[in-house]
Amino acid sequence: MAILTPTRPRQAAASGVTVKDRIIAVFPLLVLIVLVLLVLTQQPNFLSLASVRGLLESMAPILLLAIGQTFVILTGGIDLSFAVVSSLSTVLLALWLPDMGVGALILVPILACLTGVLTGTVVAFAQIPSFIVSLGAMGLWTGVALTLSSASTIRISANYDVIGWVTDMRIAGLPVSALLAILLAILISVAIRVLNRGRALHTMGLAENALLMSGNPTRAYRILAFALCGLFSGLAGVVLASSQYSGGPSLGDTLMLPAIAAVVIGGNAITGGVGGPLKTLVGALIIVVLRVGLNAIGIDPAYEQIIYGAVIIGAVVLTIDRSRLGIVK
Amino acid sequence: MTDTVLEVRNLRKEFRGVVALDDISFELRRHEVVGLIGENGAGKSTLLKVLSGIYKPDGGEILREGKKVTFRTAAESAAAGIGMVHQEQSLVTSISVAENIFLGVEGAGVSAGVYRWGTLRTLAQEQLDKIGSPISPKTKVEHLSFAERQMVELAKALSVEERADSEPVIVLDEPTSVLEGDELEVLFDQIDRLRKFASIVFVSHRLDEVLRVSDRVYVFKDGQCVAVRDRSEVDVDELHRLMVGRESTAEFYHEAKQTAVVDQPVLMQVTGLGKTKAFEDVNFTLRAGEVVGITGVLGSGREELSRVLFGAEGFDQGSITLGGKSIGLRSPVEAVRAGIGYIPAERRIEGIAQGLSVQENIFLADPSTVSAGPFLKPRAAAAAADEWIRKLKIKTPNRGTNISNLSGGNQQKAVLAKWLTSPRLKVLILDHPTRGLDVGAKEDVYGFIRELCARGIGVILLADTLEETIALSHTILVMRDGRVQQTFDAHPGNKPRPVDLVEGMV
Repeated sequence: MAILTPTRPRQAAASGVTVKDRIIAVFPLLVLIVLVLLVLTQQPNFLSLASVRGLLESMAPILLLAIGQTFVILTGGIDLSFAVVSSLSTVLLALWLPDMGVGALILVPILACLTGVLTGTVVAFAQIPSFIVSLGAMGLWTGVALTLSSASTIRISANYDVIGWVTDMRIAGLPVSALLAILLAILISVAIRVLNRGRALHTMGLAENALLMSGNPTRAYRILAFALCGLFSGLAGVVLASSQYSGGPSLGDTLMLPAIAAVVIGGNAITGGVGGPLKTLVGALIIVVLRVGLNAIGIDPAYEQIIYGAVIIGAVVLTIDRSRLGIVK
Repeated sequence: MTDTVLEVRNLRKEFRGVVALDDISFELRRHEVVGLIGENGAGKSTLLKVLSGIYKPDGGEILREGKKVTFRTAAESAAAGIGMVHQEQSLVTSISVAENIFLGVEGAGVSAGVYRWGTLRTLAQEQLDKIGSPISPKTKVEHLSFAERQMVELAKALSVEERADSEPVIVLDEPTSVLEGDELEVLFDQIDRLRKFASIVFVSHRLDEVLRVSDRVYVFKDGQCVAVRDRSEVDVDELHRLMVGRESTAEFYHEAKQTAVVDQPVLMQVTGLGKTKAFEDVNFTLRAGEVVGITGVLGSGREELSRVLFGAEGFDQGSITLGGKSIGLRSPVEAVRAGIGYIPAERRIEGIAQGLSVQENIFLADPSTVSAGPFLKPRAAAAAADEWIRKLKIKTPNRGTNISNLSGGNQQKAVLAKWLTSPRLKVLILDHPTRGLDVGAKEDVYGFIRELCARGIGVILLADTLEETIALSHTILVMRDGRVQQTFDAHPGNKPRPVDLVEGMV
C-alpha cells in the first residue's frame, strides 16, 4: 500500500464507499419518488390532504411493525411472530379496555414487549436460529389469541376513547398515529447517532464475535432487539384496535408481508448490520404508495400479497452483499 | 523473437481507495528466473493476480512477447502461456493427478462430454515428464505429499505451453512455504530444468532461496517497486533492508526496552486453575509491566487457558485474583469490566468488526474516554481516533474507512488501539498477536508490547515462535498435556535458549 496521509476531512469521500453502495443508499428514495410521480399521472389529486391522510393512516401500523422488525433484522435475525403479536395485542386491548381503561393501554405494549424478550432469550441462550424460534412463537401467540377471543372479533364495548384519539386526532390535518410513528423513527435514528453504543445492533449483524470478544453483552443486545420488536408490535396493535374499534385474533396478520417488505425495500440489509428506522420509513412509504398505485390502475387488492412477496425477494436480490455470504442454504 | 517475454508498464491497481499497486514496471527476459520479494501487502500477490487475469488493472499495460495484451479471465492468461502455481494449493484432492492437470481445459482428453481416460493420462504424463516427475497420472491427489502436490501444480502450470504459441511463463507464488529440506532441493532442480525452455517468476519471502534461484530480484514495498538487483550485486542483508526499509540488525524485539519487574506489584494471581479435559493446576503471578509467555504444542492446554483467562470459556477449579480481588470471569463482559483485554488469534472474526470503520473499531471495547454518560462526543472521538492512527502508524485513508479494507498488520494495530484506549486496562492477553503479519508490522507490535509494559500493564503472551516468546517474556511457562511442566525466568540478560523450552514441550 502506498504511503497514505491519514485523515484530511476532504478525503472522507474516499473511505471505501463504492458507487454501488451509493446507488443502493439512494435507490429506495428514487423508487419512492418515481412511484409517486407514476401514481400522480393516474390520480392528479394524489397529493391532496385527504389522500395523504388516508395514505398515512394505512401506513401507521405497517411502519410501527416494520420499525420493530428493523431492530431484529439489523442483528441479522428475523422475528416472524411480530404481526401475530400485534393481533394478540388487539385482542387483549378489546378484552381489558372496558375494565382497566388506561391500564390496558400501558399493560398491553409491555406484555407484547415480553413476548419479544421470551423469543430473544430462547434465541440467545439456546442458540437456535431466530427464524425457527419466532416461527414457533407465531404459532404459540396465534393459539393464545384464538383461545382468548374464542376465534371471533371482539368489539370494544367501553372506554374506546382511551385509544380512540390515536385514530381521530389530527395535527395539521394529518393523523396523529402516523405522525407519532414517524417521530419514533426519527428519535431512534437520532439515538443511534448520539449514543456511544448506538450502533450495537448494527455491530451484532456485522461482527457479533468481535463485539463479544470486546467485552460487550451480545446476548443482552439480542434480547433487546426482540424486546423492541415486541414493543413496537404492541404499539401497532394499539393503532389497529383503535382504527377497527375492536380486537381480532388475526387483525394484524396480513401486515406481516408488507412490514417485512418495507424493511428490505427501504434498504436494510437482510443479512444485518446495515440500515436504520429512516430507511424503514422510506420503505413503508413505498409500500403504501404502491398499494394506492395498484388500486389506481385497477389491480385487484387480492394480488397485493403477491406483489409484497415479489418486492421482498426483488429488493434482497438487488441489495444483498454476496461477498459476505458463504454457502446459502 | 524479442528478448523480453513479459513486460508490465506503469501498472496501477486500487481497492476502494487503497493503492495496492502504484506505477509498477516489471520485465521478464527469455529463460530468466526473476525473484519477487516484499512484505505482506507490498503488492506481490496483486501483481500476480493481475497477470493471471483475476484482477483488472486500473492503469498501465501488459506486454507479452512485445505485444499488448489484456487478460479478462484466468483462461485468457493461460491461453497466452502464463502458468500459475498458486500459494494456496489449488488442486482438487478427491480426483486424480491427470484430471487436476487438465481441469477445465481437457481438450482432447474429453470427447462428447465423456473422459477419454487413456488420452487424458497420456497428455498428463507428457506434462509430468517435462519436470521428470515419477508421479503417476492415475494417483488421487489426496494420496500425495505436499511436495508431490507442488510438483503436480507445476505440471499443471506447464500445460499452458501446448495451449499458447510461445514459450511458457511460469509464476511460482510462495512455492517453498510448505516445503522442507529435500523437497526444496527437488523444486530447485525443477526450476533449473524449467529455465531451459521457460521464463520464471519466483515469489517468496525466504530471501536466501530467492537469491539462490533468481537471476534478478525485484523488491516491492508499499505497492511500489523500490529496487531491482542482479544476483551478483546483492546479498540477503541488503535485500532485507530494501524490503523492510530499515537495518535488519535493528533491535527487532526491542529487547533493550525490557525492564526488570521483580519489584513491581502483583496484578494477577492464578492459583490451582483447572478446566476439565483442558488443563489443571496452573499457578502463576503476573506483575505490573511483566510479560508472561506461555508456550506449548497444540493440545498442551495453553489456548484453552488463554480463553479461560478472558472469560470466553469457564473454569472449574482454582481461582483468579486481579488487583487482590477474586474474579469469577464467567464471560468476556466480566473480564473487560475487571480490566482484562484480549487480542484473539482469529483476527478477522474475533478481533476486528468487519464492516465498521477504523474509528468504531477503536472504541468497540470502551468508548468511555470519548463519551459524556451514554452519549458519544463526536469531535473528541474523531480526534482520539486520529491520534491512535498516528501513534500506532495505522495506514488507512482515514478514520472512517471500513476496517476490512486495511492490511492485516494495520487491522491488528486497530485491535491493539481498542484496548490501549481503555483506561481500565490492567492485563492484556495476546493470543498469537503477530500471526500473518509482515516483518515491519511485527516489529511495530513488539514495540507496542514494550510500551504497554512501561505503562504498567501486565501481558500474557501466546506467541507464534519460541524466539518471540523468549525475547518478549519475563517469565515463561512451558505447558504439556494440560500442565505447566516448567517455569523459566527470562529477565533481560537471563534468557533461556529455545532448546531449553522444547525439552519441556514434548
